[in-house]
Amino acid sequence: MHELSIAMQLVEQIVAIAEENRWPRVDEVELEAGALRQVIPEMMQMAFAEATDQTLAQGALLSIRDIPAKARCNQCTLEFEPEPDNFLCPECRVADVEVLEGNQIILKTVSCEAES
Amino acid sequence: MKVNVVKNVLQANDIVANKNRQTFKESQTLAINLISSPGSGKTTLLEKTIPALNPDSQSIVIVGDLQTTRDADRLSDKAYQVTQINTGLSCHLYANQIAESLGDLNFKEADFLFIENVGNLVCPGEFDLGENVKVVLLSIPEGDDKVAKYPTIFRVADLVLLTKIDLIDALDFDLQRVRDDLSKLNANVQLIEFSSHTGAGMEQWLDWLRIKQTESIGTQARFIKE
Repeated sequence: MHELSIAMQLVEQIVAIAEENRWPRVDEVELEAGALRQVIPEMMQMAFAEATDQTLAQGALLSIRDIPAKARCNQCTLEFEPEPDNFLCPECRVADVEVLEGNQIILKTVSCEAES
Repeated sequence: MKVNVVKNVLQANDIVANKNRQTFKESQTLAINLISSPGSGKTTLLEKTIPALNPDSQSIVIVGDLQTTRDADRLSDKAYQVTQINTGLSCHLYANQIAESLGDLNFKEADFLFIENVGNLVCPGEFDLGENVKVVLLSIPEGDDKVAKYPTIFRVADLVLLTKIDLIDALDFDLQRVRDDLSKLNANVQLIEFSSHTGAGMEQWLDWLRIKQTESIGTQARFIKE
């Protein structure tokens, strides 16, 4: 259910960009979602459709790229890919990490095919 | 035409959250984000905690719920000041709601700001409010599998309060399972077995709060020097 909150923030940014560029509509949006955010693509698509309803971005295609998680062990500095429910370092067997990747939700690109 | 943006989608919230954090530093207030499922005992915890922290310290409360002012009503004679945010359809609080509420509260006098988030173990974890610490409550009746089921919020918790611990013998709850699941997520998280009913864990919880409050003042002192 957090997908809708994220989609609403996303649509605000997209619409601002479209207005800035005087686009009649938005055709495509590329999003990167870190694995630790647990964004479910199907839920995100539904939320996006809902949040863009009656905006310049209505009907836009949303593509979501999943970014794998990456963590660095604070004890032995080993970098590894944690699972959402397991942050144990494969070497130390202790969950004491700095998360390097996987927390981000990034709007990468917004496009409009219409001539402006 | 394609525009390269590369922007954090939650940036608008994060900017306000950072401002809130700075405000709390300046007023030497420890801001505590209380997160849990509905019915795990957040309001009861505050009903017991705030009078116990008195008279040495001032506490203020921001309560988030979809509807009603019932929680604020319950706490209004306990805390120095209480304000209720009704989020309507939103399942969590946003940083700007905290910033707006601060305008109504005399927070500069407060040592503790308790933010009782909307009852939900998922969405509040996504939205930084600018708090100093996240305290997650897990009540015994919810079951011992919740840490593994909702790992994200437990991974970022500074403290887990295992509430309604007085019910542990009546329910089939495996405490070791919770400890094991937590240790896979965050070796540094603390766990306190707590009961608002019997008072178990209360001293430990109050000590934790006082230590965190002192630490946040210490951080502030260093911040000014730098």
